[in-house]
Amino acid sequence: MLFQVRDLHVSYGNIRAVRGVSFEVDKGEIVTLIGANGAGKSTILNTIAGLQAPDSGTITYQDEPIAGIPAHKIVERGMVLVPEGRRIFGNLSVYENLRLAGFRLDEPVLKQRLSDALKRFPQLESRQHQRADTLSGGEQQMLAVGRALVTGGDMMLLDEPSMGLAPILVREIFNILKNINRDGKTILLVEQNAHQALRLADRTYVLETGVVTLSGRSADLIQNADVQKAYLGG
Amino acid sequence: MDLDTLAQQFLNALQLGSLYALVALGYTMVYGVLLLINFAHGDIFMFGAFIGVFGAFVLGLPFLPTLLLSMIITALLGITIEKVAYKPLRHASRLSAVITALGVGLLLENGMLALTGADPRRYPDNFFAASVTIGDTTLELSVRIVIIAVALILFLCLYYIVQRTKWGMAMRAISYDKFAVPLMGVSQDRIITLTFVLGAGLAAAAGILWGVAFTASLSPYMGLRVGWKAFIAAVVGGIGDIRGAALGGLLLGFVEIFVVALGSPIGISSSYRDLVGFALLLVILVVRPTGLFGVARRQKL
Repeated sequence: MLFQVRDLHVSYGNIRAVRGVSFEVDKGEIVTLIGANGAGKSTILNTIAGLQAPDSGTITYQDEPIAGIPAHKIVERGMVLVPEGRRIFGNLSVYENLRLAGFRLDEPVLKQRLSDALKRFPQLESRQHQRADTLSGGEQQMLAVGRALVTGGDMMLLDEPSMGLAPILVREIFNILKNINRDGKTILLVEQNAHQALRLADRTYVLETGVVTLSGRSADLIQNADVQKAYLGG
Repeated sequence: MDLDTLAQQFLNALQLGSLYALVALGYTMVYGVLLLINFAHGDIFMFGAFIGVFGAFVLGLPFLPTLLLSMIITALLGITIEKVAYKPLRHASRLSAVITALGVGLLLENGMLALTGADPRRYPDNFFAASVTIGDTTLELSVRIVIIAVALILFLCLYYIVQRTKWGMAMRAISYDKFAVPLMGVSQDRIITLTFVLGAGLAAAAGILWGVAFTASLSPYMGLRVGWKAFIAAVVGGIGDIRGAALGGLLLGFVEIFVVALGSPIGISSSYRDLVGFALLLVILVVRPTGLFGVARRQKL
């Protein structure tokens, strides 16, 4: 197993946001965690990425425990997070955002990754020298994913890439994620947009108020009456 | 005022302004990265000037080696202050950090006073003998021109680092959104360290140049007035923006020199210098509350 979370507990002050969550991701998979606002999805991703310290539980990546390692070191292990709300650096140019994402890289690798990322997002290429905050929401999301491609690693974590985007753009982003996965990257996706997430992911975990209530193959969960009622408006 | 006097005053203003600018850069960079107003920065400037005294008298070094030595040692002081005094407070309230900064400033002032005594110091007479020999001709350089040139070179180096290197990109990125910076594989601590190295190094250079420009003026309290003025220059320029700090410093230099130069013939005493200067800057802040280069920060949720 490439990645495992076992009995993870995380809290903010007195609020216990994540209460004993376990799940796993195999190499080459797309796995999604779906759930409503406040279910603890972002907390889980931020904890994995090293931005938040867990109370207890283990996180294992490539057979090594990574819980509690600071975020910039997690990146070195080969895992990258596309955070909620994109968090692009609006005061930097598009190029500088991508360049900064390759901070640790040697020149030849950096060049290769930059050109790969721009090939994946041709819209960004013509806007390289624009300030990133002049981009539209969809372009900003593409920049956020492009940045993660430059940073590199075997596994990409994405926190609500569909947030605030028109349906057509959501489909475009999800298609790109599908392609990135096909090219070999393992993906862990957190989403409120259950429709799109279920269609993209191989397996799905349903999260409610900090615990996993349901899990299985996405194709099966789509048929599940409870899931349809709660998340697919059906 | 005849043309020659005007040119002289212009040079005076450039000299004073570029010294304010060098100090203002340190305020603005630390604020950009940590949202901390480092009120010890004026005393770091003083410390740099006194390392110059040490280098010139004790080691007998000439101007340029003294300048470099002081920049390096003062940069180490900057790192130490950050690690010992500010880092433990990174998640404390802003007020605690500001009070600590004032405390660090007092420590530096009084520590230097205890170490060197209250008599004003000056650099040796032959400390700054600026002449260039090309072939058979020796060119005497004006002190002011050299000071302005050194300040300009240092600013251009800084500008290059901030605008063109990945380290500078990381500094600017932290000032925009520090949450996302570690996700790029960048250690925030190392960027903060770099910021203090650059800020303290420039302040040290300004300290040495100050001692060269205004002889017999090195006292442990010399950083107070200069520090406040440079801080104001940084705010007027738009705190967090290095172009703003440079411009704010120059502006303050010009205002101070020309209030005296133009005021004394018409009976305005030179003791009104600060009053007129600060009033003008206040007007700028009323018109542009975020400073000349500042942009209003969106409150990020």
